[in-house]
Amino acid sequence: MERRFNRRQFLINTGLAGLALKSQVLFANTSGTPASSPITRRVPGTGEAIPVIGMGTWITFNVGGDTKLVEQRTEVLRTFFDLGGTVVDGSPMYGSASDVVGEALEALGARDRIFAATKIWTGDESETREQAEQSRRRWGVDRFDLLQVHNLLGWQGHLETLKAMKADGEVRYIGITTSHGRRHREFEQIMKREPLDFVQLTYNLLDREVEDRLLPLARERGIAVIVNRPFQGGSLFRRFQSEPLPGWAGDAGVGNWAEFFLKYIISHPAVTCAIPATTRVEHMKENMGALYGALPNAEQRQRMADYVRSL
Amino acid sequence: MSGADWLSYSLQDFVMFGPQVFLRLFVRINQDIWPWQLLAVLVAIAVPALLLKQDGRSRRMALGLVSMAWIASGYGFLVGYFGPINWPAGWFGWAFVVQGGLLAAAVLFGGVHERRLRNGPLVLCWLMAVCGLLWLPVVEAGSWQAIALFGVAPGTTAATGMLALALMTGSWRGLYLIVPLLWSLFSAAMFWVLKTWWLLLLPMATLMGIGAAFWFSPRQGRSPG
Ligand SMILES: NC(=O)c1ccc[n+]([C@@H]2O[C@H](COP(=O)([O-])OP(=O)(O)OC[C@H]3O[C@@H](n4cnc5c(N)ncnc54)[C@H](OP(=O)(O)O)[C@@H]3O)[C@@H](O)[C@H]2O)c1
Repeated sequence: MERRFNRRQFLINTGLAGLALKSQVLFANTSGTPASSPITRRVPGTGEAIPVIGMGTWITFNVGGDTKLVEQRTEVLRTFFDLGGTVVDGSPMYGSASDVVGEALEALGARDRIFAATKIWTGDESETREQAEQSRRRWGVDRFDLLQVHNLLGWQGHLETLKAMKADGEVRYIGITTSHGRRHREFEQIMKREPLDFVQLTYNLLDREVEDRLLPLARERGIAVIVNRPFQGGSLFRRFQSEPLPGWAGDAGVGNWAEFFLKYIISHPAVTCAIPATTRVEHMKENMGALYGALPNAEQRQRMADYVRSL
Repeated sequence: MSGADWLSYSLQDFVMFGPQVFLRLFVRINQDIWPWQLLAVLVAIAVPALLLKQDGRSRRMALGLVSMAWIASGYGFLVGYFGPINWPAGWFGWAFVVQGGLLAAAVLFGGVHERRLRNGPLVLCWLMAVCGLLWLPVVEAGSWQAIALFGVAPGTTAATGMLALALMTGSWRGLYLIVPLLWSLFSAAMFWVLKTWWLLLLPMATLMGIGAAFWFSPRQGRSPG
């Protein structure tokens, strides 16, 4: 994976320069990172740096053969890459999303810019390789960077095959996923026992159960963490968007609600990457704002959680 | 997948697309098949015209047209357009094709009533259904191109097609109910998750269609109204 990104391209492509005038703190550099560099986190197993904001494709990229919508989603992906994103998450469960990602990658000529992550989602534990190969063809990538067992479905069998595939160089990283707080106990046991590179789980300002055990365990075990449902499937916006941001938001590096929700997540030390999904270029720009600037510190994180609870 | 695995999924997990994508299916199919939907309009008018006659041959022709409508909307809309974004919809598409086949079998193997039936109100209901239901996706999508024609859109076809039950003899009716009832359940859950409230009228109309068909069908010891 190679990242092509520079400051000029960033400013031109995004229009975030205008936003920066409105939000003086957006480019304030309080974390020691150059203001226009994307914030990255290292995958503990290899030290590879990946941008902390990725992209999900559940619902949003499942548009079937609708050429008009495929073009729109291609623009969303273009914006994502232009703003420094690399990690794209999919699953065979997401209908036509894999095909649409594949078409968009082809149109953008961007296969070398992606950190391609998908899942194995089948109850037949002997089908791991077959499904991975099907997905690979649909995405049009040489190989996946990350293959995850979706929702622990048939995890024993799949994980064995994934380990073998990793040893053979057919995939770079392997992992497991859950969401909505499901099966955390079993998830924890697997994290303790298995040699995982990544876990994917739900974490957002309202769903914080993982702060107690799973996130500390991931740090302890050196497992990278991808966070799904960072906006609780969009309901965080529906609940809070009409409310004002707190006056101190700027000090925490936050210029809008999307950044508020995302920066809370990615500032947790165990989190490697959050993968918000969107159908809209404007929303993608907002979300990618969280990839830049300052991050809230521990005290500010607490204030963020308290503020949302108070609304 | 085991039962426990299925239970860990919610309704939302099976509605893996947004309302915009769903409503555009109507627009896309209408654009792609133009001008063939005029044929669907002709069929929608021909059926009540045939029902106005009380002879068995016209009824069999009407049922034959309804059976073609099930097959066309199942294979065209559900398998061709909806299936790629929602795998259960693809299965329903094939179930619609089987439903059409069942109707054709009823036509061929004597499942059609020969007795007089209350065809006036039946025709009125038919016309109200085909003319009324087609606007529901239009209201939701805000585009007249989303019009849901009988024989093209599965919801309109199922709801209106239920009235054909009135023409069928008892033993065939039970068979003819399974797919529409399952489809009503599935589509109601889907419209609920998508929050496309107007479309909830489609499964409701299907259930009303079943009631109306039983009401209008010829009964022992009762003269047609
Ligand atoms: N078990 C699993 O492995 C699992 C489970 C769940 C999710 N995931 C992964 O995680 C990804 C993210 O989760 P998710 O898609 O469920 O939910 P999410 O990212 O929390 O929320 C997506 C919703 O937020 C809205 N949104 C995004 N950016 C916005 C903005 N700036 N302003 C206002 N609204 C905005 C989107 O609407 P618009 O389209 O209008 O922007 C969309 O409806 C998924 O796509 C999937 O890849 C994995």
